[in-house]
Amino acid sequence: MNSTKHFSVVIIGAGPAGIGAAIALYKRGVKSVALVERSDKIGGIPSLYKKKKGGVRTFIRWSRGGIPFFGEDYAHWLGEQLSKTDVQLWLQSQVIEIEAKENRITLVNPDEGRVSLTAAAIIMACGSREETASERGWLTGARPMRVFFTKQLLQLIDGNGLLPMRNPVIIGSDLIAYAAAAKLKVAGAADAIIVDNRRRPKCSYFERLYFRRWSQPNFRGVAAKSVEVVGSKTASGIRLSREDELIPCDGIVLCGELIPNSELALQGNLKVELPSRKPVVGRDSQLSEPGWFAAGNILGGFHGAEWCYFNGRRVARAVINHLSQSS
Amino acid sequence: MVDWPDGNLDAAVRFDEDPYDVIIVGAGVVGCALAYKLSQYRLRVLLLDKNYDVGEATSKGNSAIVHTGFDAAPGTLESQLVTQASRQWPELAEKLKIPFEKCGAMVLAITDEQNKQLDTIHAKAVSNGVDDVRLLSAAQTRELEPSVPQDVLGGLLIPRESIADPFTTSIAYAEVALANGIDILFGAEIVEIEDADKTIKKLVTARNDRIATRIIVNVAGLGSRRLADLYGGDEFDINPRRGQFLIFDKYSRSAIKRILLPIPTAQTKGVLVIPTIFGNLIAGPTAEDFSLDDEEVTDTTLEMLQSLLSGASRLFPGLVDQPVIGTFSGVRCNCSQGSYWIRSNDGHQGIVTVTGIRSTGFTSSPTLAEYLIKELHEKCGLNLEKNPNAVDSRPESNWPGWWQRPFANGELVKQNPDLGKIICYCENISRGEIIQHLDSPLKPRTLDAIKRRTRAQMGRCQGFDCQIKVAEIISEHCGIPLSKITKRGPESEIVPAPTAAGNEGKG
Repeated sequence: MNSTKHFSVVIIGAGPAGIGAAIALYKRGVKSVALVERSDKIGGIPSLYKKKKGGVRTFIRWSRGGIPFFGEDYAHWLGEQLSKTDVQLWLQSQVIEIEAKENRITLVNPDEGRVSLTAAAIIMACGSREETASERGWLTGARPMRVFFTKQLLQLIDGNGLLPMRNPVIIGSDLIAYAAAAKLKVAGAADAIIVDNRRRPKCSYFERLYFRRWSQPNFRGVAAKSVEVVGSKTASGIRLSREDELIPCDGIVLCGELIPNSELALQGNLKVELPSRKPVVGRDSQLSEPGWFAAGNILGGFHGAEWCYFNGRRVARAVINHLSQSS
Repeated sequence: MVDWPDGNLDAAVRFDEDPYDVIIVGAGVVGCALAYKLSQYRLRVLLLDKNYDVGEATSKGNSAIVHTGFDAAPGTLESQLVTQASRQWPELAEKLKIPFEKCGAMVLAITDEQNKQLDTIHAKAVSNGVDDVRLLSAAQTRELEPSVPQDVLGGLLIPRESIADPFTTSIAYAEVALANGIDILFGAEIVEIEDADKTIKKLVTARNDRIATRIIVNVAGLGSRRLADLYGGDEFDINPRRGQFLIFDKYSRSAIKRILLPIPTAQTKGVLVIPTIFGNLIAGPTAEDFSLDDEEVTDTTLEMLQSLLSGASRLFPGLVDQPVIGTFSGVRCNCSQGSYWIRSNDGHQGIVTVTGIRSTGFTSSPTLAEYLIKELHEKCGLNLEKNPNAVDSRPESNWPGWWQRPFANGELVKQNPDLGKIICYCENISRGEIIQHLDSPLKPRTLDAIKRRTRAQMGRCQGFDCQIKVAEIISEHCGIPLSKITKRGPESEIVPAPTAAGNEGKG
């Protein structure tokens, strides 16, 4: 039997939303808060966008008058705020199981092995990931090397100083896609060809204008129902089936189209919409069991880091309400 | 140039004039099973493959059903080998330390016409020696599998139909063979056979190694035709038959206990819904014929995937709401001249061609290997002397693999903290497990080889979170630069090689 530790609030995920919630709880005097993070550092997705001279500032802080920022700087700021609190941080702690009725999570980490945490309230701030080729529904074909997600692109370019491709094709056309095109260009690749199954890019005109400083990607809206990845060992192109046109490339990035990391909620029988994977939330981001809340990009859709941070703070207020009612 | 681990042979051994007794060309599940069985004798055996892992070609796309052979054509070699193997599998899995689950299967009849056919299928099963099958009423069918359509008219229960792990099976066979002293060579494409008509033949690889042997067994799957051309084997044609599959997330698995099969038609066996040993559901396969040169044979297509979903939802209507996490194509090594097309002394004494081994080859691998050894003994004069020191099992200490999670036992994590560092968030695979597999006997070094052994990158996010981290661990642990890590061996590197011009595009 594994040991159990008790907290007043447990937050799963130390990205902007989870940290926002943790800081708000501290400021409002909630003691005994645990912040559980599966990776070895805090900051979530923004921390992958490294600060670099001449690099692309992909984050905007609207609360400070719309100043462009490096994601890493934002993650750093979050870390500073967090260090001023007494929130207990659990790094490298992967939650493997939740029991919704018992308000219990079970996690694994290198120091303690397997531990259970219980709390009066639990906030799921698990973020989101990018849709796989099959989840996009219109991308089929081969499965060679160098079909990356944006996250992998960042790990290679910013994390390891490698250029993952020289002639990129980007699938998806939201802000993440245009930011990826800019990052690739700055890292030494050619302007990307951005392909999406819509007539106009998802990314707004002003956002695209912003990224034109670094790269001028070529948008291809494909009416085609199906686009096929080509390449036996590494990606060598994509084929637009209806036009029967081959766009050559040496790497493909699947960008954006975020899908909530709601697996734990599903596993614990909290209500989740399928196949969208959006957790079903009521008033104040409450999940289908009392005491369970959701914050940030796990709610679905695509939100910037700052939105998630403020959303985390807002959910923290709802959690405090819940705590006062139940005590 | 990165020193690619190409098996346990160094160049000096390869150029050794001392001939092998048997060289097995093709390290798919059949080649590996043959190596495993041959390793029980005092023989010098080499298992080689052009790829950089075992089971890297058709075997990895197998649905991993361990068939009872209930629906095989009675009296064929295939039926005989499958039926025998089906009874050996529980013990085999025990020995090889591979996961195996007797989940059972159910044939569903939706129309009156189909309902009448159930009796025929029942009779066929009994004549194949599968006498534990049972006809079910509509109510019984729904009671056993509540997720089947409400208008189901009846079913046939096949209790012993089972599932296993398509990847670990080949690996386990090869690891035991290796422990018994068999040599394994990867990255070895055969381009020429010298002295095919002599007692000692020489296989020439694309790297210009010459490897001498008395007997060649061609189990090269889709490559068997090209290899047979090198020694002038008998006429046969390989028509790869593609089978696409949809993979559903684990939350769908609880809805179904058994493999669900439709009533087969004259053209096709239809679309099945299959629980996997990993806890997912898969739906498939399609049956699409290709020619040998088509590269698209492992591609997936939108139309076919959509038709799979509609076919599968006739067996399990709730499937349409379930998230699809991935798709893949398997390829059956279909021989126009017939399944299990085996020729001993094909063209020349001492050369055996084994082809047309379709999806049932996974099930029949242990009995097919025994059958082939008998052929080698009786027809090619292979001298069989048991090696009393040979083992037929993987050691207990062998890491039991993904199906027993180390964190189930918190003490294990405390002894080795790496087992608590979760790298793959979907399947909860730790850094420690990845390292244990890097240190395993076949020395896997590719992303796909680690994927098949640990399941890292195989979950719902398809590597979003862990692919680069896995590459970093391989790089760090094995001293290979990150830029040289590959998906399946040379030419599938994670990033393109730098050009002399630096940043310039290839144009």
